[in-house]
Amino acid sequence: MTTTIQENGNQLIASFNGRLDTAAAVPTTEAVKPLMDAANREIILDCSQLEYISSSGLRIFLSIRKEAAAHGSKVIVKNINSDIRQVFMMTGFISLFEIQ
Amino acid sequence: MDLHCQMILEEYQEALPVLEEMKTKVLQMLREALERNNIIVTAIEARVKTENSLAGKLALKGQKYATLADITDILGARIVTFYTDDVDRIAAITEQLFEIDWENSVDKRKLHQLDSFGYNSLHYICRLPGYEYRFELQLRTTLQHAWAAINHDTGYKSGVEIPREYMRQMNRLAGMLEMVDDEFSRIRTEINNYRRRVQHLVQNGRLDDVSLDGDTFRSYLQAKPLDALNKRIAAINQAEIMETPLIRYLRVFKAFGCNTLGDVDRLIHQYEDDAYRLARHQLGNTDLDIISSAVGIQNICIVYILRTGGGKIGLNRLFDTLNGHNTQNEQLAELTYEQARNLPFMKQ
Repeated sequence: MTTTIQENGNQLIASFNGRLDTAAAVPTTEAVKPLMDAANREIILDCSQLEYISSSGLRIFLSIRKEAAAHGSKVIVKNINSDIRQVFMMTGFISLFEIQ
Repeated sequence: MDLHCQMILEEYQEALPVLEEMKTKVLQMLREALERNNIIVTAIEARVKTENSLAGKLALKGQKYATLADITDILGARIVTFYTDDVDRIAAITEQLFEIDWENSVDKRKLHQLDSFGYNSLHYICRLPGYEYRFELQLRTTLQHAWAAINHDTGYKSGVEIPREYMRQMNRLAGMLEMVDDEFSRIRTEINNYRRRVQHLVQNGRLDDVSLDGDTFRSYLQAKPLDALNKRIAAINQAEIMETPLIRYLRVFKAFGCNTLGDVDRLIHQYEDDAYRLARHQLGNTDLDIISSAVGIQNICIVYILRTGGGKIGLNRLFDTLNGHNTQNEQLAELTYEQARNLPFMKQ
């Protein structure tokens, strides 16, 4: 599991690659720290290479969203596969995120 | 400038640190008091009179003042409120916070002549316990503040600088703003009364008497009608429930034809068991141990659509309403339909 963060104008794009499971949660939490302090930016969570997300992964997404809201930033989840979409759906978080 | 006025100016220069200290304390005390009393205002501000401004004042009427302590607006504070009612509430709070010099305080709102309009604020001359100098506190509404600023800009205050015709037009506007201020206060009071009535009806279970709107739905949600269902769903995987706003479901229930909170409540109770079965089917073979508090209401809506023959199109509409129109909602509707299709309620 790898996480890379890039800047594109006012956007911060975090790209996830692999399986975001319990084992990957600790390094991913560390990797997304720059997103937590971003103020008034658009944060894109690009999931085009994300194969799987567990509860720990959901918690990371939720804390990014919470911190972003506190700093006036907006979070958009992009390119999720149908399994991950199902996870968002089943847990009731689908309408909490802007998913494109 | 004569010697007397120069002495007052020198006193001012020496007193400046104390006046700045007073300013900080006054602002802090006012902010804390407003917060304690849940009063939201447009602005709280304070300023120590500048040396130039004081010199101007002394040049005009310096002999009126024996010492700097006689100048009551050497420090000025202002609170701008949204509502006229709040001016009176803050005035009452101020009377408890500071010593009021009643002799020099003016409620200009009460000074209007019967044959003229006026539009002024409440001015209190206050003393901060332990300090020699007094300060002026102005309390006014946002509209009064706008009026005062424009009034000042036109030079209207002096009364003789603009022709009577324009003065009359300004007075008409003042009267209108005063009415608007009163109307805002009246509407706020009515809204608060309505909310109290609704809460009373919800608490007493008279849900059929309450029409469905944003306010009433919020009151209904405060009674946590979905808690039991969410806890049942959470128990499937011993999941943590994360609170999520549910107000967006108002539009969904409206689209379902619910007109009262009673309609919503019946719909929830009618479909909650099937909503639980759907959740158990979805979550039972996963290890997802975090759910949103929206999961119960979401599943109720899904079950309602499927049981009333709405099918995939109905689900797509639901997701469009909740998430905004999005081409991926179609995929989500398909997915949800496939998950639910073998559940017992689909065969009823």
